[in-house]
Amino acid sequence: MTFTHWIVLFLGISFGFLVALLIYLLYITRLRKKSIDQITKKFHNEMAERIQAEESKTKLEKALLQGQKLQAIGTLAGGIAHDFNNILYAVTGYVEMAREDVPRDSITFQNLGRVLDASHRGQDLVARILAFSRRQHHEISRISVQETLEGVLSLLKPAIPASVAIHVIHKVHENCFVMGNQTQLHQVIVNIINNAVDAMDEEGTVTIIISHLSANNSYLKQLPNSKKTDYCKIEISDTGHGMDQTILERIFEPFFTTKEVGKGTGLGLSTVHAIVQEHEGQILVDSQLGHGTTFTILLPAIMDNHG
Amino acid sequence: MAKILLVEDDDLVRDMLAQVLQRAAHEVFGAANGDEATEILKKMEPDIMVTDIIMPKKSGITLISEVKDKHPNMEIIAISGGGRLDPTGYLDLSESLGAAVSFEKPIDKAALLMAIDLLLQGKKEQVH
Repeated sequence: MTFTHWIVLFLGISFGFLVALLIYLLYITRLRKKSIDQITKKFHNEMAERIQAEESKTKLEKALLQGQKLQAIGTLAGGIAHDFNNILYAVTGYVEMAREDVPRDSITFQNLGRVLDASHRGQDLVARILAFSRRQHHEISRISVQETLEGVLSLLKPAIPASVAIHVIHKVHENCFVMGNQTQLHQVIVNIINNAVDAMDEEGTVTIIISHLSANNSYLKQLPNSKKTDYCKIEISDTGHGMDQTILERIFEPFFTTKEVGKGTGLGLSTVHAIVQEHEGQILVDSQLGHGTTFTILLPAIMDNHG
Repeated sequence: MAKILLVEDDDLVRDMLAQVLQRAAHEVFGAANGDEATEILKKMEPDIMVTDIIMPKKSGITLISEVKDKHPNMEIIAISGGGRLDPTGYLDLSESLGAAVSFEKPIDKAALLMAIDLLLQGKKEQVH
């Protein structure tokens, strides 16, 4: 072998070695990049999970605080209402007796009659506050959400202006059943629909959507306090004037009303909230000024034994 | 006319009810709580006791069970606004303890007077 051959062989081996080294280095870099990508991905996931956990914790704290606040106001209102009940009872009792002592055609008799009317109005209000603050025992039975809604609509329709359209969309073929009190659930739907109609100044559309959510639905996962069970979901949307954030935060508070004096007692939605809680459900509200409001009610669903 | 023991902790309500009963020609003895009522019962025996349920010191529920024990012939009418709870619970309890009738506040005057008359009539029939 000549010297040139040796050189060529040496260069060949060196080149081969270099190529191998280059391939190895490329391989290592790719591996590193992969593992860095994996770490970054893991880090992002962890961050997202932590943020989500933090968010649902804040949501839960907020819900708890709101619940406690509502309960405290309820207790306070109940106490005041009880004392007022006694006061008004004494007032009506004395006025009735005073009326017996004056001639029926006298102005005094008439005026005392007015006092009685006013006291009776006060008693009605007290009765409503007491009904809100007392945890009454209601008869619970298996109820079809669809049938309850149909019942409410047939009752309400004559009172709703013709310019307000009501659309009902059933996203479930079968009936969605819950355990609950029929009268109370009527009250919930009536209150929300009435509010929707009021919010639209007698013109617009109310859309009601009924759907069934299975326990592992992602919508349920983002809610604080939801149980691991199926839910019946009732969404009631209006095309009314909507609400801003300040009002939204207070709508379930007793005595909070945006209606004119004498038109709303401020007890409608707080009663709705209390009823939904009593049914172990949840009520959510979403609103945009000028675009309307959506109330979402979630009630734990029960299996339909008949099919 | 009957002798009525009226037990009610709210002064205004007690005075008002006393006047209602007196106007219907009944003789009324007032007590502000269960303790006062027990004291009065030591001195005299009324025909009927009308009692509130939620009162300080001795409640109407305790009073009713004591009175039914010591004075089995006395008729009892329970009245309640229910306090912080639903009154029907208290009133059902007072009826099961021996109250003949129970009323939720605000009580209809005519219904209360009619109940008193019916209970008195029943008592008379028992005697004859």
